[in-house]
Amino acid sequence: MEDNKSPIMDRIAEANKAATTGIDAKDIENWITIHIMGKAYKVPADLTILTAMEYAGYKFVRGVGCRQGFCGACATVFRKKGDYKLQTGMACQTRAEDGMYLVQIPFTPAEKAIYDVTKEPYEASVFIRYYPEVTRCVSCNTCTKACPQDLEVMDYVQAAIRGDFDGLSDISFDCIQCGLCAMRCPAEIVQYHVAQLGRRMFGRYGLGVPDHLRKRVKEITEGKFTDEMNKLVSCSTEELRKIYTEREKEPE
Amino acid sequence: MAELKYIEGYPENIRKEIDKVTKTREKRINYTPPAMTMKERDEVLRIHPDYAPGGKRELQVGPNKGNLAPNEVADLLEAYPLIEQDEVNISQVDYDTDILIIGGGLAGTSAALWANDSGIATERILLTNKLRHGDANSIMAEGGTQAADREVDSVMKHYIDTIGGGHFENKPDVARALVEDAPLIMKWLCELGAIFDREEGGDLAEKLAGGLSVKRMHSCRDYTGLEEFRVLRDEFRTREIPYLEHYPAIELLTDGDRVTGAVLWNLETGEYKIVRAKATIIATGGYGRLHIRGFPTTNHYGATFDGVVLAYRVGAKLRDIDAVQYHPTGAAYPIQIVGYLLTEKLRGSGAQPVNADGEAFVYPLEPRDVEASAIIRECYVRNKGIVTPTGLRGVWLDTPLIEIKNGKGYIEKAFPGMIRMYKRYDIDIRKDPVLVFPTLHYQNGGIETDPAGRTNVDGLWVAGEVSGGVHGKNRLMGNSTLDCLVFGRRAGMSTAEYVKAHKGENKIALDHVKRYVKNLEQAGVKCTRRAPIILPDYRGKAALARMIDVF
Amino acid sequence: MNPTNTKETKSTSSGNMKFPYYPGCTLKTTAKNFENSAIATARALGVELLEIPRWNCCGTVFSLAQDDLIHHVASVRNFIRVQEMNDYGLVKNENRLVTLCSMCFNTLKSTNRRMKENAEDLQKINELMYREEDYKGNVEVLHFLELLKSLGYEKIREKVTKPLKDLNIAPYYGCMILRPKEIAIDDPEDPTIQKDILEALGVSVIDTPYKKVCCGSYQTVKDKYIVAELAYDILSHARKKGAEALTTVCPLCAFNLDQRQQAVKEKHPDFEEMPVFYITQLMTIAFGMDKDVFGFEQNYVDPRPLLKSKSLIED
Repeated sequence: MEDNKSPIMDRIAEANKAATTGIDAKDIENWITIHIMGKAYKVPADLTILTAMEYAGYKFVRGVGCRQGFCGACATVFRKKGDYKLQTGMACQTRAEDGMYLVQIPFTPAEKAIYDVTKEPYEASVFIRYYPEVTRCVSCNTCTKACPQDLEVMDYVQAAIRGDFDGLSDISFDCIQCGLCAMRCPAEIVQYHVAQLGRRMFGRYGLGVPDHLRKRVKEITEGKFTDEMNKLVSCSTEELRKIYTEREKEPE
Repeated sequence: MAELKYIEGYPENIRKEIDKVTKTREKRINYTPPAMTMKERDEVLRIHPDYAPGGKRELQVGPNKGNLAPNEVADLLEAYPLIEQDEVNISQVDYDTDILIIGGGLAGTSAALWANDSGIATERILLTNKLRHGDANSIMAEGGTQAADREVDSVMKHYIDTIGGGHFENKPDVARALVEDAPLIMKWLCELGAIFDREEGGDLAEKLAGGLSVKRMHSCRDYTGLEEFRVLRDEFRTREIPYLEHYPAIELLTDGDRVTGAVLWNLETGEYKIVRAKATIIATGGYGRLHIRGFPTTNHYGATFDGVVLAYRVGAKLRDIDAVQYHPTGAAYPIQIVGYLLTEKLRGSGAQPVNADGEAFVYPLEPRDVEASAIIRECYVRNKGIVTPTGLRGVWLDTPLIEIKNGKGYIEKAFPGMIRMYKRYDIDIRKDPVLVFPTLHYQNGGIETDPAGRTNVDGLWVAGEVSGGVHGKNRLMGNSTLDCLVFGRRAGMSTAEYVKAHKGENKIALDHVKRYVKNLEQAGVKCTRRAPIILPDYRGKAALARMIDVF
Repeated sequence: MNPTNTKETKSTSSGNMKFPYYPGCTLKTTAKNFENSAIATARALGVELLEIPRWNCCGTVFSLAQDDLIHHVASVRNFIRVQEMNDYGLVKNENRLVTLCSMCFNTLKSTNRRMKENAEDLQKINELMYREEDYKGNVEVLHFLELLKSLGYEKIREKVTKPLKDLNIAPYYGCMILRPKEIAIDDPEDPTIQKDILEALGVSVIDTPYKKVCCGSYQTVKDKYIVAELAYDILSHARKKGAEALTTVCPLCAFNLDQRQQAVKEKHPDFEEMPVFYITQLMTIAFGMDKDVFGFEQNYVDPRPLLKSKSLIED
């Protein structure tokens, strides 16, 4: 039935099938060998560790989440052929390379402290109270080397020690809480939890609620817009379409 | 085949094409193509995957029988359950709770916090997650959250933008709740300690986005959802609210016509658990991983439509389920990141879509369906796209324009996530444009609700992407995190009231599943598919072909 | 990483000599008044203390174990920051690193000495920190008092607009800037550097043999009464010799001698409280500075009644 077909959609689907239905060996030209927990697998080149493992036959129920570098679920440690360095990365963000041997660390045993940010004093002592181990930092920088986001982890731990909430928030902001820093730290600090506490303190006390927001909430609560909204909600589609097309746009 | 030669991340032949973008950049700095008229919009939308023929069919069973749905969606609604009445022992209740929340993204987590704030003791709430708490589309929201909190803005303007973007098919009372609660939600987040981008003097920094008439987009660099979520999760953990991880719900439980809990399944061991609850909130998100029409997706691994499948079997009505959102700018190159999101905030900050000839061919901030259609048209009708080494097509998103318009150093400050994603493939988005093509992004419709998050089924609430109505046929940027937070809160408060008023013991049963199976049989649907699918399958075809299921 | 990116490098008044400055954690928290008053007095004397970008904890205590190199990494990292400040032109050929806290001074200087004297240790640390540029061993650790001495007491005297007449002060040194003698800033047996500065301010200086007796240091964490007894001896002896207050340059000494007076009173009900100043606080008064930099609200025993009685401050 011709009118129930879309050649464009078919072409798009065909071009994307490796990403949507799994890879077919016949489409692959270049191959590499990786060692997943010691076992060798031949996989297509140009994959991430995550998709290479899937190609090899793994169906993930752990060690995977967003698949795009935001959630921190697929922490992985690996060494490359001929290199003594133990490296870290997110499986979904790291290219699989020939000779790589790897294992995932899908869970970090680390205790999050229980605190109430509304009751804590906005000072350095908050870190010592809930995460006293921060003071054990010897500035070895292993955490920074482990960070798959390339954050200066040690610098924000140091910022915590001296109560620099602003600095801590700025340096740690892109943290995806994968836990690799905490797994590598010889002083057994849970850096990403420390940062979370610090950021919340900075957000609440260092930045706070701006006046324009406070004012608008008050206006809404007092019903300033109620009548106008009542009118708007009962408008017909035609009336709404008119308002929409004629509305003014704020310049960039 | 000869090895491709790469120059700063791009193969030689594509690198040459970039010259056309660089050469025309100067001219485009002060030129923005005009926004489309309503008529032009209607015309280009014909090529949108939603309207292109062959993608949908009529549902044969259930409350929405006769309505159109994408084939991939219909497949799951017309599928047989994973378990039936006799296969599980539901006489032994493992968790007896007041409020069961299925799904721990922004919506589910805020529901828990607000239920707790409304007087439900922490130990009377249970939040269950398919993967980890927070493995959700919420944390991948890059661009922002809308709230009309500037003097020049108003909730009315937010409402009009939202309705217009949704093709005037939004449910008015629900859309109203969304915009009226938005400033309150922002205040709540600030008080909990979320760090939003600020102006010099401490006011919230706000930006334009597709379909907005006023700067209203609040962001946290390009990690907005992540920041909002990790603050909520920290608060959630601090209150010690019970939660389960790697425990997807595979069926709801009912007492007559009322939802009274769910069957959970341990993803790792396979053991099932029975939860009895007075009220149940479904906050399981959307369906990107169904790869509708064969599109790649921006969605997380667990976005498989489970919540709607479960709710539909108990009789929950759906709406706008045929409206799929394709984000205009997914990555089209390199192959490792195909389909990944390039936030709309990039265009909000000045990046332009540009075709192979170096022309700015579309107003950068059209509503998403219009923008996406224009890009598809450029690639497949006008043939002015770039073809990648793996045969995909895309247009350029001219990111270096951002720094020309906002000053040097701006990209590093505002888009650290984008820089990071491309740096891993040797591409510097500050110097070079990137290739984009629409990607499956969002489930516009879903389970119909009232402004409190209640469905038509007693005892069942929904919040977030799983719901339908608030966005009509097309959601605007910045309204999804907001949707989760507003209706998570409302569902939390509404269930709390319901639970307090609700006395007496609930029965639990799977009768509704039996009924649904009978309906399927009567409609002549063969038992070839089971749902929910829980997770997609990307295993290599060679490995799959030789798999033996022993255990 | 380019250290000029950090927000901590504040703009400075032109013309002043610029020194890399290492604050340490305490100076940013409980001894903020020490830092503020020191930076202000230095500026008045034509010296800008430029906080080193991305500094980290000094390591707190110099480890004496031969094989415990890891605990020196922290100090060395700070020396590399000083090199970077020179590389990026934040300071010009200035390898002298100024410290305020006695404990930081002791740790940094002891480590530096070991690095300068033991090439093998330096190499090991450099290799461990392969992401950093190598530490070349050129930094000199300077205590703020040494800096003042090098500027000349006469210069201090010139800046005094309000001589601290009739104020009887006993300087207290503690151990960390005097021992071991190889790193001492003054004669470990009979230091005079504070006396010289105080005299330039017009103070009547009271000398006591308790000036270099240990304050109890970290015993304060384990048992505050051990420290309280030592504080009682130090303070009451000074009082007997006619002192009205003490000066110090160490946040830990200050804590033990000032805050711990509460515990002293528990054990010795007759004990009369005595203010404990950072010497730089007295300098800000003598230089006629604004009261915002005095920072007396962080002192436990309020020195303001004493200063008012001598007409040195207003209400």
